[in-house]
This record gives sequence, C-alpha cells and structure tokens, in this order.
Amino acid sequence: MIARGFTDPTERIEKLKRVILDATPYVESERAVLVTEAYKETEGLSPILRRAKAVEKIFNNLPITIRDNELIVGAITKNPRSTEICPEFSFDWVEKEFDTMGSRVADPFQIPKETAKELHDAFLYWPGKTTSDLATSYMSQETKDCMGAGVFTVGNYFYGGVGHVSVDYKKVLEKGFRGIITEVVEAMEKMDRGDPDYIKKLQFYNAIIISYNAAINFAHRYAEKAMAMAASEMKPERKKELLQIAKNCMKVPGNGASNFYEACQSFWFLQCMLQIESSGHSISPGRFDQYMYPYLKNDPTIAKDFAQELVDCIWIKLNDVNKTRDEISAQAFAGYAVFQNLCVGGQDEEGMDATNDVSYMCMEATAHVKLPAPSFSIRVWQGTPDEFLFRACEVTRLGLGVPAMYNDEVIIPALVNRGVTLNDARNYCIIGCVEPQCPHKTEGWHDAAFFNVAKVLEITLNNGKAGDKQLGPVTGDITTFTSIDDFFCAFTKQIQYFVHYLAEADNCVDIAHAERCPLPFLSALVDDCIGRGKSVQEGGAIYNFTGPQAFGVADSGDSMYAIQKNVFEDKAMTLTELKNALDANFGEPIHRTCSESIDLKDMTTEMKVYEVVKKILSTSGSLDIAKLTDEVAAMETTPKSYGSNDYLRIQGLLNKTPAFGNDIDEVDFMARKCAQIYCKEVENYTNPRGGQFQAGIYPVSANVLFGKDVAALPDGRLATKPLADGVSPRAGKDVNGPTAAANSVAKLDHFRASNGTLYNQKFLPAALAGDKGLQTFAALVRSYFDHKGMHVQFNVIDKETLLAAQKNPDQYRDLVVRVAGYSAQFTVLAKEVQDDIISRTEQSF
Amino acid sequence: MKINYDLEGIVFDIQRFSIHDGPGIRTIVFLKGCPLSCWWCCNPEAQSLKPLMMYQVDRCVHCGLCLPVCPQGALSSETDAFIDREKCIGCGACAKICPTEALVLKGKKMTVNEVVDILKKDEAIYRHSNGGITISGGEALVQYGFTTELLKACKINGWHTAVETTGYIGSESAINEVFSYLDLALLDVKSYNDEIHKKYTGVSNALIHKNAKIIAGMTKTVVRVPTIPGVNANEKEIRAICGFAATLKGVDTIHLLPYHTYGENKYELLGRPYKLEKTPSLTEPEIDALEEVVKSCGFHCVIGG
Repeated sequence: MIARGFTDPTERIEKLKRVILDATPYVESERAVLVTEAYKETEGLSPILRRAKAVEKIFNNLPITIRDNELIVGAITKNPRSTEICPEFSFDWVEKEFDTMGSRVADPFQIPKETAKELHDAFLYWPGKTTSDLATSYMSQETKDCMGAGVFTVGNYFYGGVGHVSVDYKKVLEKGFRGIITEVVEAMEKMDRGDPDYIKKLQFYNAIIISYNAAINFAHRYAEKAMAMAASEMKPERKKELLQIAKNCMKVPGNGASNFYEACQSFWFLQCMLQIESSGHSISPGRFDQYMYPYLKNDPTIAKDFAQELVDCIWIKLNDVNKTRDEISAQAFAGYAVFQNLCVGGQDEEGMDATNDVSYMCMEATAHVKLPAPSFSIRVWQGTPDEFLFRACEVTRLGLGVPAMYNDEVIIPALVNRGVTLNDARNYCIIGCVEPQCPHKTEGWHDAAFFNVAKVLEITLNNGKAGDKQLGPVTGDITTFTSIDDFFCAFTKQIQYFVHYLAEADNCVDIAHAERCPLPFLSALVDDCIGRGKSVQEGGAIYNFTGPQAFGVADSGDSMYAIQKNVFEDKAMTLTELKNALDANFGEPIHRTCSESIDLKDMTTEMKVYEVVKKILSTSGSLDIAKLTDEVAAMETTPKSYGSNDYLRIQGLLNKTPAFGNDIDEVDFMARKCAQIYCKEVENYTNPRGGQFQAGIYPVSANVLFGKDVAALPDGRLATKPLADGVSPRAGKDVNGPTAAANSVAKLDHFRASNGTLYNQKFLPAALAGDKGLQTFAALVRSYFDHKGMHVQFNVIDKETLLAAQKNPDQYRDLVVRVAGYSAQFTVLAKEVQDDIISRTEQSF
Repeated sequence: MKINYDLEGIVFDIQRFSIHDGPGIRTIVFLKGCPLSCWWCCNPEAQSLKPLMMYQVDRCVHCGLCLPVCPQGALSSETDAFIDREKCIGCGACAKICPTEALVLKGKKMTVNEVVDILKKDEAIYRHSNGGITISGGEALVQYGFTTELLKACKINGWHTAVETTGYIGSESAINEVFSYLDLALLDVKSYNDEIHKKYTGVSNALIHKNAKIIAGMTKTVVRVPTIPGVNANEKEIRAICGFAATLKGVDTIHLLPYHTYGENKYELLGRPYKLEKTPSLTEPEIDALEEVVKSCGFHCVIGG
C-alpha cells in the first residue's frame, strides 16, 4: 500500500482552524495611525531613519493579541484574518472604498465607522508623500497610456510594498536579533569616515539597530501579556502553556533558539514582523524544512505529536495574515491570497537530496489544516525519493491545489544562466506564486508587472492602434502581409515598443521605493546589505532582478498558427476576410459575452457597468449618471445575432484549427516563439538596483480580468473573453489528454522564463484514485519534468466544475473520462451519464 | 526485424493517458472493424471498417454551410436524421466545413509510421508508470496485418504491448503472428452460454473458446468480462466463465467491466437504435457480489480494469 492516509488534527488545531474559518476580515487602523505620527515627528530625518523610527513606534505600540488556544503567538491584527493599512505606499483607494469594501464581491473587508474616521484623519497627512505619488510623478504620459489601454500594469508595487522575498530565517534561529545587532555594530567599527558613503551607511546601520531593538521589545511585550494572562488563567493546563509562551518570547527572537518549540516561535515572530514593516505580499518562508530540521533533530525530548502540533500552529498563523487590495486588484488576486510560499524537498547546496522529517511534517500539517496558506511547494529532481513524491501526490488528492511542484533540473540551470552561483542556485526557494530565487541574497522584484502579450497581438493586427488610438508604432496594414514572417516582424516591433515603456514604468516605481521606503528591518536579513551598508531597495542584495510576467501566450501562438494555416497554407480565407471578421467580433455583440466565464457570481451587472463607464469616459471624458443608466439598460436588451454565415464559416475554421496543448510541434512552436520574443526583449533592460530584467509567464488570475480589454483574436476567441491561464493551453482546447497538454507546455522555453512559469492541470478524482492513482500522478510529474517543464500543480475537479462543463462544454473539452476500452471526452457524454459522474465525483477517494 | 512503416490502417482514435487497459499509463490505438455487434458496445463507430459520420444535433446551428459540399447529396435539413446513411460514403467534406463540429468523421487512414509518431510522444510516461501501448477497437485483429507491423514497431522501441480482443479471429496464422509481439492479452469473454452469446453478440462463442486456448498458450492473458445486467451479470454465468478461464494456461486474473451507458449517446449520433435502452448500471452491492464469485473461483479480480 502506497497511500498512508493522514492522522486527525488535534482538538486545539480544530479550534484554531474554526476561528480562521469563522473570521470576518476587518480593516484596522492602529498601524496607519502610528506610522503617520512617526512620520510627522521625523520630518527632518533621512528616509531610512524615518522608516526605522516608524517601525520602532509600531513595534512599541501595536496592540498585543494572544488568541485562545495558541501555542505560537504574534499577531498583526486584533481580529483574526484582518489587515492593517500602510498609507506610506498609497491610501486613496482605501478611502474611496470606506463604504463599499465590506460589501464588494471579491475579498470584502469590514471597515467600522470609527476605523474609517481614524484612517481618514491619518490619510490627511499623506497626499503627495507616498511611493505611489512619487512613482506617478516620474512616469511619462506614454507609459500611462499603455497602462490605461491594458497592455501592462505595474499594480502590485505601484500601490503597495514590494515583499516577494525570503530572508535569512536560519540566521535569526541561530543568532537571534541580538546577533544581527552585533553584526551591525562590528560593521560600524570597521567603517572609514573617509568613505564617501560613510554617512549613508551610518544612517542605515543606526536604522537597523533601532528596528531590531524595537522588534525585541515587541516580543517582550508578548511575554508580559502572556504572564498577565497566566496570572488570571483558571485552567492549570492553559496557565502552564501561557507561562511557557512567556518564557519563549523573553528568549526568542532576541536570542538564538535552543529547541524546536523556540525555533517555531522565533520563525513566526520574524514572519509576522516582516509583514508589519511593509504591506508587500509574498513574504515567503522558503526552505522551512532545511532551517527548521536541525532544531528537531537536536531536540531529543520533544514528543513527535507535539512537534507536529507546533508546525500545525504555524500553518494556522500563516492563515491569520491577510491583506486588502483595491477592488480591481482584489479581483485579480481573489481569495484573500497573501502568497507566503513555503517549500520543502529538493537538493542542498552540494547537490544532494535534502528531504527530511520536517518535509514530511509539512505535508501532514497541510492535510491537518486544509486552509489556503501557506502556498505550499515541493522541489523535485531526479534524486527525489519516490516515497516523497507519492506523499505529495497524496496531499494533492485532497483537492487543495497544493503542493505546487517545481523542477530542480530546470530552475537550477535557469538561475545559473542569470549569474547565480551553482551553490546558490541549488539552494533556491519559491517566492509568491511560482518565482524561484536564491533565498536571503535576492531582491527579485518578481511580480513586477503583468504584460498582456495577447493585447500586443491585437494592436499588431490593427497597425499599432488600440481602439481608435495610435498607441504603438505603425507596423503595416496586415491585409498587405504576405507571410507569417511579416506578422512576426510587426509583432516583434510592437513588443519592443511596449516592453520599453514597461521597463520605464517598473524603474519609476523601483526608484520611488528606494527614495521613500527603504526597509531597514528586512534589509538586515538579506545579504549583503549589511556588508554594503545599504538597503535592499537601494541595491543592497547580492542578486537583483525585475521580473515582469507575461500572459496570453497560448492565445498569441494559436492566433499566429491560425493565420499561418488558414490564410497562407490552406488559403481558406483572405487576410481581409479575417480582419473584417475580427473587427465584427465574428458578428457577436461584444458585451453579451463579457462575463460568462468569470467565476465570481453576480458580477454580470458590475462588469457591464465597468464596460459602459470606460466607453463613456473615452468619448466624453466625464460621467453622466443618466447616460450610464441608459447604456446599461440598452445592453440588457440587445439581442444575440449570429451575424453572417461567412463570419460563422471563418470562426468555425479558426476554432477547429489545432491549438497549443495537443502536442503538435508546428502549433506549439508558435506559442514558444511568441513567448521568446517577449522574454528576450525583457532581458535587454536593467533596473536601478543594478540587476537584469527577467521574464516570467504566469497570470495569477489576471488572465480573466485583462481578457476584458482584448478584442477578438485569430484563434477564434471572442472579444472580452478570458485569456489562457499562465503557460496552460486555452480553456478546453487541449483535447488529447493530460500528457499531450503537458508535453506542449514543456515545449516553451522554461529555462528562459526564469522568473517562473505556471501550469495548472485538472483531473477528475476517479483518474487518481487508489494506489494506482498515486503512481499515475507521480509518473505525470516525472514525465513533465523529464520534458523540462518548470512548475505544475494539480487541481482535482469538484462537482461545481463539472456542472459548469455541462453548461459550457467548449470550455471544458480537456476533461477526460477514462473507462476500460472506451473512447470519448466528458463533454460528449449524454447528460444523464454526466450527471452520474458528477454525483460520484465527490466521493471518489 | 523488417517493418513496413508505410502500411495503412483505419484508426478511429488514439487515446493517450489511458489507465484501465493494461498496466501503468498507456496509449490506446483504436482500430476500426469488428465481427461482433454486441448490444452494449460502447464504441459502435468502430464496428464498420469504413469511416462514419457522427452528427450531434445540439451543436448544429443550422447554418447550412455543409449542404452544398456533400458530393453524394446525402445531407438534408428537411429530415430529422439530417444524414442519409445509405448515400453517405464517409468522405468527410461536410465535417471539414462544419463550423461548430456538429459533424465529425470517425475513422481515418494512418500509416504505421504516423501512429508510431504519436505513440512516441508519451515514452517518458510509459517509462515512469510501467505503461505502454494497447491496441483496441473494434476487434484489434480485423486489420491484423497492420496490427502486426504496428506491434513490431512498438517492440523495437522497447514498449510494453497489450491487445484488447474478442478472440473472434478466423485465421490461426494471424493469431500466431500478432501474439508473438504481445506482452499481454486482454481477452473478452461475454458469455459461456452459446445461445446467449449468439443473441447478444451476433456470433457463436465456439471459435472464441478455441482461440482463447491458443492465445493463453502464447501470451500472458487476462480474461475480461463486460458485466451486463440481464445478460451475464449473474452468479451462474460468472461461475461458468471462471470455469472456462480455469482451463486457460496461466490465467489468474479476471477483470469485471461493469456495464455503463457512456456509449449510448454515440448511437444517436450515428443515427442507430440502441438495443439495450433503459438498462440500469449495476449497483455497488451487485458488483461486490460478482467480485466475490470470481474470488471464490480462485481468481484475482479487478473491477473496471
């Protein structure tokens, strides 16, 4: 028997989990008020010292919260799963949503009246003083136009902190914060007053010392609180626990940890404090199993069950962290995602397999807690034990979509190609969604932008125009083109043009962070900031990158192939016929189709309003409510028409053209080429921290949102429909089964997309049941990785997905049903048979 | 070994990632043509050797694009059937122009080389799952010349090979040729009672019984029983089949393949009646009971392959 099953979580974990599940997320005001007070008091100081003083004030005054039943303490907010606000990055979107954030569809947060008032008062200080304001003032009009048209967005760091880093947890576990302070003091002693950067370095060092002393005090405040709670606690068992908590918090993270419990507490304080200093998400624990294992191994007295419970407690705490975003970003990142990526397994710096007991405990914790955090990843290489991979597959089968699996055999050489040393590359971890980096040596700026390759293709087809506006260069009327090379030539020029402005946008934001928000607490734990005497934001890290990610790759490749095949090879249509059909959206009214495929319910009207608002603003420049109502009403009543038969014929041919995802080389290489044009162009740019730009290919869920801005494409996709997800084939277009789809995806150049690629595969539970299911799973992973894919994660399909497939069969033709000796797909089965499969889907394991 | 890579066969599907037709993850090559016409057949498009049109009315938008392209004048929007099956020659001209894939042609000529090119794509998955290739149908031996060449090509790649067969093969030399390149035979036994067999499959089981002994003597064989309510899903029949299986050399495993209705829809698409209409699937307790029967006869039993 391969499947081992999972033990039940303890009663404590069940209770803690219930708190998270039942929590109503709130916005809290303390941090915003404290940071504003600090900034008012420090107007004359340098930015780095102002940051340190702000951090000091927050750590010394943020409310101390120990929740019932906790063994590991440290909370960012009073209420579970709630969020603080960081107005130093941007604030106006919060103010705009004071009345609506509690009721919005994607990721609502409650803002009580009193909180809103405190935030409002704090915000009065900030206009013109945020990183966002500064970045905006640096950007050219052309860049802003590109963002307005939906070609790219730099949303994440434009409005918030950068995050996206894995710090030196090991150092804190070993030496404690006092060790960091000692290291800084030693560096200060070696300083030379003649050094032209002496003053800057001195400020930086002082900033670190201020921040870490305050951080130690933050932990001590927890110790005091635990003591006080213990004094009034009636239950002897809990009293004992609280006293132990107090003892732990007095010791760590100020000092090094000397047992597993202290290591867990020290880890959590650090993880929590990083997310108090800045609003950046994707603060990733990285190789948790590697730095935690020594404390387990050298703790002979700890009971195995208790050690597991502590890890489970950390998993719960990771779910207590929450972030709010503006309404549009909340849609793109729907699901309260914070992306604290934790990865286990893989090779060590010497190239030996590094899987250990903690790696397996993390699997167990994921099964016990079954909540979205952490973003759980495993590293796989040719030396990964089968047992470990089978266990990961067993976790996957729980249907949580984790662990995500990463291929050492691609990522290590990809990082080496970017100038990372072999040892550092072997030690990589994953940040955020899918981005590999060498931990505690990298400022990767991984989520630097979303770049819409499909939009650029649309602009190419319109000779540089987006709608009526000449946004890109004039690259030729496509009806005069005579080969697919002409298309690639024009497309490449457009990509070059837009990537140029993308780089400008990113660098404006980058400089704004360096000038206004250098982060002393974080920087002390990224090499070689202390050695260089400067913050991460100013180029203190050993490795510096900017990673803007593309999406819409499959859409672009399929469009190019459709042109190649139907126009140039089969001569089944002329370019003029194709262009007319695209301009007419194949005869379909555009707005009728805009929101069908968006998962969030009740979005329809909202989307329509969004479309209308954009339309009215683009023509009249101001918004008249009466006109808005009329337009939306007109949309509701526009009838569907099939248009002419010729549009239907053309769209039919395009829809039937083989698509990316079916393991057909000539088709797949078109997508590869489109991705490469983007990736190579991105590599030409450098950032102000002295690092290279490197591309990724993953969309989070922006492919749905940004699809709304893209017109009909030659792959048969209608205007406003979602684009392909990451490196995945277009929805429902991979009809040759999962191995064919995986082979196609592996044909992209994953080595070059070194900022990460994302591949989702979905399966019916029945295909993965039993021990054979685990072996099947593992074989799929090994085979995809043999073909040099970078990342894969499996979603086990639930009943809702199958119901959706019944309604929209064309979107779900990739769902395979396997029965002995039988040949067909789910979507061609009779409805009664589908119903039968659906009813059985929920109880397959 | 000489292999004729240019030999053509008529294939109606190549299904990758198949997990119920032999060990590991496999690619199944479905060949056209079958001498049997079982009432429950889930691949009725495979029975005839020639390509067949499938028409899915709920995908049809009645655009009329197909009507003028049919060289036989076999299409008519006036009739409910839409396709005149007598006139249709399976040329596929209508399927080519159909914009919504309401019309699909099942079956096309492929060379051994073209098939092997597709099989090769999953080499890594065969390796990691101990999988391989399964030839199915239809009856895999109807086109035995093609099957032989294809199997030879598989063997020189080192792939594990299996076949799904009815055992209803007229030529003993065909058996000798094909089975020398096979690692596993999945041999269907539908009924031990010849009357029942004739009624529901259209042929006698005498030839099948004779061939089963030859096949089991040459290749590791698993007996598979499509378990059909009202036909053979009863203890008496299963015991009789087990008794027969006990006479076959080296057979230690019996697969019970519970009746399903996944293929029922295809009859409608082909414009043909489904003779087992309204037959319910077997319930879990019924399947469990039959599994116990197989086990009590001393065989290892797998449900669903």
